Amino acid sequence: MISLAGRDILHGWGKFVLTGVGLGLLIGVTLSMAGVYRGMIDDAQALLDNSGADLWVVQKDTLGPYAEPSSLNQDTERPIRAMAGVDRAAGVTYLTMQIAHEGKDVRVMVVGAEVAEPGEPGQPPHLIAGRRIVQGHYEAVADVKTGFAIGDEVMVRRNTYRIVGLTSRMVSSGGDPMLFLSLKDAQEAQFEKDSDAIVRQRARTASSPVLNPPGNPAVAEAVNAAQASSTNVNAVLVTVVPGADAEEVAATIRRWQRVTVYTRAQMEEILVEKMIANSARQIGMFLVILAIVSAAIVAFIIYSMTIAKIREIAVLKLIGTRNRTIAGMILQQALGLGLIGFAVGKIAATFWAPFFPKYVLLLPADSVRGFVAVMAICALASLLAIQAALKVDPAEAIGG
Amino acid sequence: MAEGIRIENLVKTYGSGDTAVHALRGVDMSVAKGEVVGLIGPSGSGKSTLLKCLGAVIEPTSGRMTIGDTVIYDDGWKVNDLRALRRDLIGFIFQAPYLIPFLDVTDNVALLPMLAGKSNTQARKEARDLLEALDVAHRAAAMPSQLSGGEQQRVSIARALVNRPPVILADEPTAPLDSVRALAVVDLLNTMAKQFETAIIVVTHDEKIIPTFRRLYNIRDGVTVEERASAPSGG
Repeated sequence: MISLAGRDILHGWGKFVLTGVGLGLLIGVTLSMAGVYRGMIDDAQALLDNSGADLWVVQKDTLGPYAEPSSLNQDTERPIRAMAGVDRAAGVTYLTMQIAHEGKDVRVMVVGAEVAEPGEPGQPPHLIAGRRIVQGHYEAVADVKTGFAIGDEVMVRRNTYRIVGLTSRMVSSGGDPMLFLSLKDAQEAQFEKDSDAIVRQRARTASSPVLNPPGNPAVAEAVNAAQASSTNVNAVLVTVVPGADAEEVAATIRRWQRVTVYTRAQMEEILVEKMIANSARQIGMFLVILAIVSAAIVAFIIYSMTIAKIREIAVLKLIGTRNRTIAGMILQQALGLGLIGFAVGKIAATFWAPFFPKYVLLLPADSVRGFVAVMAICALASLLAIQAALKVDPAEAIGG
Repeated sequence: MAEGIRIENLVKTYGSGDTAVHALRGVDMSVAKGEVVGLIGPSGSGKSTLLKCLGAVIEPTSGRMTIGDTVIYDDGWKVNDLRALRRDLIGFIFQAPYLIPFLDVTDNVALLPMLAGKSNTQARKEARDLLEALDVAHRAAAMPSQLSGGEQQRVSIARALVNRPPVILADEPTAPLDSVRALAVVDLLNTMAKQFETAIIVVTHDEKIIPTFRRLYNIRDGVTVEERASAPSGG
C-alpha cells in the first residue's frame, strides 16, 4: 500500500515545508527558552566550581555572598586557616558594576581575590591567555565575554587596570562575566567613598577636638586613613584537605566563629532553588504557553488541510478505504509537520544560541524530551482533524 | 444476459410519523451484465437517494437488492462489511472525476486493488493495462491537475473498472463535458460494459446522451417507470 500521507506531502511540499519552518521557529524559541534555563543552572554551577571552594563562610544569618549582601572582617580567615581539616582560606569580594570600554558599557562582576600565591580560593582556576595577577595593584584578569583583550586598560572607579590574562566561563549567577582584581584593589573599589564624602568627613574630623586633638595631627591622619580604607570581605572561601569531610569542617567553623558556613550542596541549593526559582517558573510558564500555541497551530493547520480534502476523503471512503487508513494519513501528516518543525527548530536554536546575551545551554537530553513532546503534541493536535475526517459521510461524494 | 443488479420494491423513508419523507416508494429495476442503462428524473425525484442506496452508503427502509447472485439487502443488509462491498462489487463514476489530487494517474487507478490487498506491483500493472484499454496510458505518470476534462473522466472510469465490479454507478458522468466528449464517454461506457461484463447505471440530466440509452428508467416521486425498452438510435 502506498503512503497517502507521503504523497500528499510531496504534492504540496512547498506549503508543507513553509508551515513546518514557521512551526520550527516556534519550536526553536521553545528549545532556546529551555536552553536559557539550563544556562542559568550551568552558570550557577560554574560559579561554584570555578570559585575553587568547598565551604563558603559568610556574615552570620545571611545567604551571602551571591544571594544576599555579606560583610566579614578579612581577619576572619586567619583562625579558620588554623582549624583542623582546612587546607586554604581566603577572603573574596564581589561587586557587580558597569565598566566603560571602547564607548560601550560592559556589565561585569568585579572579584577581589588573594593574589600572593597561585591557587588561592577565588582566583580564576584556568587562563586561556596571558598570565595571572602578580602585582598587588592595577592588574586584572577578565573573562573573554567581557570583550576585553590582553593589554587593554579599563577604569574601575577612579583607577585604571591593565588586562594581563583572560579566562573563560567565569560568570556570576546572573550571567555577568567576571573581572578579577587583587583583593586590595577590589576592596578599595567596593568600599571607596566619593571625593565629596571624603572631603566632608575630613572636615568633620578636623573640627572635632577628640579626633583632632590640638598639637597632635597624627591622630586625625590616622582617623582619616581608617575611614578611607576597608579590610572587609564578602566571604571567606575555604578548601578542605583531601579526605576531610566538608560538613564536619563546616560544623567546626560554626562552633568557633560567629559566622554562617555553607557547603557546596547548600550553596547550590541557594543559587538554584532560591535565586533561579522565580526565573525557572517564569520560563516554565513560557514553555507551557509555547507548547499550547504550537499545539493550536498544528491543530489548526492539520484541521484546515483535512477540511480542504473533505471531498477526496469522501471518495476514499466510498471506494473502500478503511477509516484507520485515513486516520493514519492525517496522523502521519501531523507527525511529518512536527518532524520538519523540530528539525528546523533544533537547527535554528543551535544557530542563534551563541548570539544570546546570556549563556544558552542546549542539552541533548532536552532535545530528546522536546522531540517526544513535539510528536505527542502533533499527535494530539491531529485528533480534531481525524475526528472531522471520520465524520465525513461517503455519501457526500454522490449527488453533491 | 445474466443479471448484474436487481432491485425490487425498494423503499426509503427519511424520518417518521407526520414528518416522514418518502424518497423511494417501491423502486423496481434490473440491469444485465454488459448493459448500460439511463436513469433520469427531475430534481427531488429520488435519483440521488436511489444511487446512495445502490452504492450501499445509506440503508433502504425495505425492499431487496441483489448483485449477481449475491443478495446484499433484503429488508436489512445481508453483508457485514459495506466498505468491502463497495470496494469489490461496485464501481463509482462521479459528476466531477474526483481523482485524488496527490496521486498520479496510475496510482489513482491502482489504489483500489491496493486497498483490496494486492501488491503495489500487481495493482499498478492492472492499472496500466486498463489505462491502455481506455487510451490514456500516455498520461500514466501525470498528476490529475495536468489532465484535460475528458482525460480525467477516462481515468475515473478506469478507477471504477479496475476491480472488475459487476456494477458501476455513474452520477452525471458527462455533465462537465461538451457534446463530442460526452458522447465519447457514453460510447466508452458501452464498450467497457460489454468488455468487462459490467452493469452500468448512468444517472443523467444530459439531453445530449439521453437518446443513446437502449433502456431508460424515469424516476418520479420515488417510483421508477421504464420509459424505453430498446434504443431508437442504437447507442
